[in-house]
Amino acid sequence: MKTNKTCAIIADIKKMDTLLPLTNRRPVSLLPFDGIYRMIDFNLSNVIDADIHSIYMIFNQGMTQSVIDHINGGKEWNLNSLPNRYFMHFFQGLKERNPEEDHYYDSVIEYIQKSDSEFTVFMGNKMLCNLDLSQVRNVHKMHREDITVVYKKMPQEKIAPEDIILDISDNGKVKGITSAQNAIVENEVDNLFMNICIVKSDWLIQELTKWRQNEDIATIEDVLKDAIKTKTTWAFEYTGYLSNIFDIKSYYDANMEMLDSSKFLSLLHSSKKIYMKNINEVPTYYAKTSRVNGSQVAAGCLVYGNVEHSLLSTGTIVKENATISDSIVMAKSTIKKDAVVKYAILDKNVVIEEGVSVIGTPENPIVIKKNAHIVEDMIQMEEQVDESLILHSGV
Amino acid sequence: MKKEVLAMILAGGKGSRLGKLTQNIAKPAVPFGGRYRIIDFTLSNCINSNISNVGVVTQYEPLVLNSHLGNGDSWGLDGINSDLTVLQPFSANDGSKWFEGTAHAIFQNMDYIDRMDPEYVLILSGDHIYTMDYEKMLEEHKEKKASLTVSVIEVPMDEASRFGIMNTDKNNRVIEFEEKPENPKNNLASMGIYIFNWAYLREFMLTTHQKDGEMLDFGKHVIPSYINSGERVYAYRFAGYWKDVGTVESLWQANMEFIDPENELNIRDRNWRITTRHRVSPPQFLTETAQVDESLVSSGCYVSGNVNHSIISTDAQIREGAQVTDSVIMSGARVGKNAIVYRAIIGENAVVGDNAVVEGKEEVAVVGNSEVIGVCNDED
Repeated sequence: MKTNKTCAIIADIKKMDTLLPLTNRRPVSLLPFDGIYRMIDFNLSNVIDADIHSIYMIFNQGMTQSVIDHINGGKEWNLNSLPNRYFMHFFQGLKERNPEEDHYYDSVIEYIQKSDSEFTVFMGNKMLCNLDLSQVRNVHKMHREDITVVYKKMPQEKIAPEDIILDISDNGKVKGITSAQNAIVENEVDNLFMNICIVKSDWLIQELTKWRQNEDIATIEDVLKDAIKTKTTWAFEYTGYLSNIFDIKSYYDANMEMLDSSKFLSLLHSSKKIYMKNINEVPTYYAKTSRVNGSQVAAGCLVYGNVEHSLLSTGTIVKENATISDSIVMAKSTIKKDAVVKYAILDKNVVIEEGVSVIGTPENPIVIKKNAHIVEDMIQMEEQVDESLILHSGV
Repeated sequence: MKKEVLAMILAGGKGSRLGKLTQNIAKPAVPFGGRYRIIDFTLSNCINSNISNVGVVTQYEPLVLNSHLGNGDSWGLDGINSDLTVLQPFSANDGSKWFEGTAHAIFQNMDYIDRMDPEYVLILSGDHIYTMDYEKMLEEHKEKKASLTVSVIEVPMDEASRFGIMNTDKNNRVIEFEEKPENPKNNLASMGIYIFNWAYLREFMLTTHQKDGEMLDFGKHVIPSYINSGERVYAYRFAGYWKDVGTVESLWQANMEFIDPENELNIRDRNWRITTRHRVSPPQFLTETAQVDESLVSSGCYVSGNVNHSIISTDAQIREGAQVTDSVIMSGARVGKNAIVYRAIIGENAVVGDNAVVEGKEEVAVVGNSEVIGVCNDED
């Protein structure tokens, strides 16, 4: 075992129905973010910048296409050389699983063993941060305990009911954990567990081997959660920018926050870069008729219309006199003449026809499914989303 | 394995007419169009024409060029049957092998070409902006059973005396070649793109080198000699956008033309993508005060000023109140608050300070790479 050698496990098997229809065909960590990123780019970049040369990624089965399309050879994250490797595991739900072979534990254990690492980093799928993992590793080494967890003080409205709140003593030890839905309501800020921890690899192998004997199947996430309760655990406070994405509203807000230049600069212009897939797109063209303010635009767009306080992803076309405001537009969508898009999330490859309005509200942004062709107005009032309208609007 | 075609890109020229812009950088590595370098067009043409073995001959200030090329991976030239080799001058038993002309550069790299063992050698220069299917030219070369095919383009008659002019018969066979003729007989200009049958060129160069060693340049020496000795030399007529960006004025002009989405280069054509080295930059940010018209803006830019008919390259910043018109801002450059940039090229990582004025009049103004004009207050 090499000193300090670290391997990383990124697990994205927690499905979140609250993010539908955006997560219909893609795992949470493959959600586009800020025009040119996918959420997983952040954790991959965190891992790479900490000189971790091996990554094990776990996704649900059936999500293969978007995952492989994005990661591909792993070149953009420097995962395609002899010393740098990645592995992918596709997780089977209980129903599909063949009880004869407990593939999940076996392959994780085998991975950690083969990685020959001293430490293992674990990361979940829905929190975006620009974290220096080598610092976490240093703190972990100093304490010489089994687990160190990463948390951030977050306002309660930015915490999901299923999130975990840490009870931390003055000296930085974790005293206990609670589910956010049971947490005390008076607190304005809580210690949100970022679903990131670093553990000793030997210890994790032991734990997983123990759990392997059990009848019912738990994920690594569950194993670690259980260990935080029972073992000595130190907490590392992250003070940088964090987005916790767990439903449409939080997804919308997190993206929109990137239009706040201080948050944008803190997450994306820091000395630690966020690496993304190479899309090799031409620069974006702004026509004489365009008016674009307070917005972020990816490469390869053609803008003839108006864009205000919005995020445009790669290859968006905005025709003359169309107006996009307070919206997220994913790659390769076209907004035709005189169309109006406001408080909306357009998934990839959406076409909004001439003169059509797609309008949501700040509290309830309207979501247009991937590949949908919108030919008549869709105005969403406050209150609940009309599921049928969204899910069947496609052609 | 024997290769059918090997492309040799001549990228060693100094490009002295680009002044400050090529002070410490080879001409083919000069940035273009917001995120490219000039050589990207030639390299992308090779890939798109199914030519996957490329030698790049470098000589003058190769640092930036070399790091841009790397092992060719950005263009997919690092595969099992593809390869990009950077060829630089070297010392050898029989003296130093510096390159004294286009043909001489090929002669000095004969060992490399022999190793690749191609049937045809495609000679390209790395300092033109164009998209061209070399495969079509090769097909014509084979059809005509030519020994040498020279790609030509029609230029305006009054400009013809600036070029090497090909006089052809009705079958496009070249009967005469005149380098920069005073009274051109026609307007078919050589584009500096040649396909040679390697076996013959190799023999030809070895023989003439032993005789007089004067075959330094393709245009001046090799082509006239081929024609005189009765070799089958044909012209391949190319029609399309082609720009020699050898001067500040023409580089600026080509950039200005590049802005137009209707540009003949058709860079948004998915079947003919122009590829460049991947650069990690966040999305571009246009703030509340930004006003951008008729312009191209690249990734990583931060614009809060006014931009009109200009190219803003990767990671450049245009601060509040600045006015950029008819200009090219190269990557990483900063234009300070209330500064004015008009009809200018601002080099990579250059700084135009707050309230500074860079104005081109008759001639396009140039701020060199990393040059600093005035002071730019840095609060972000």
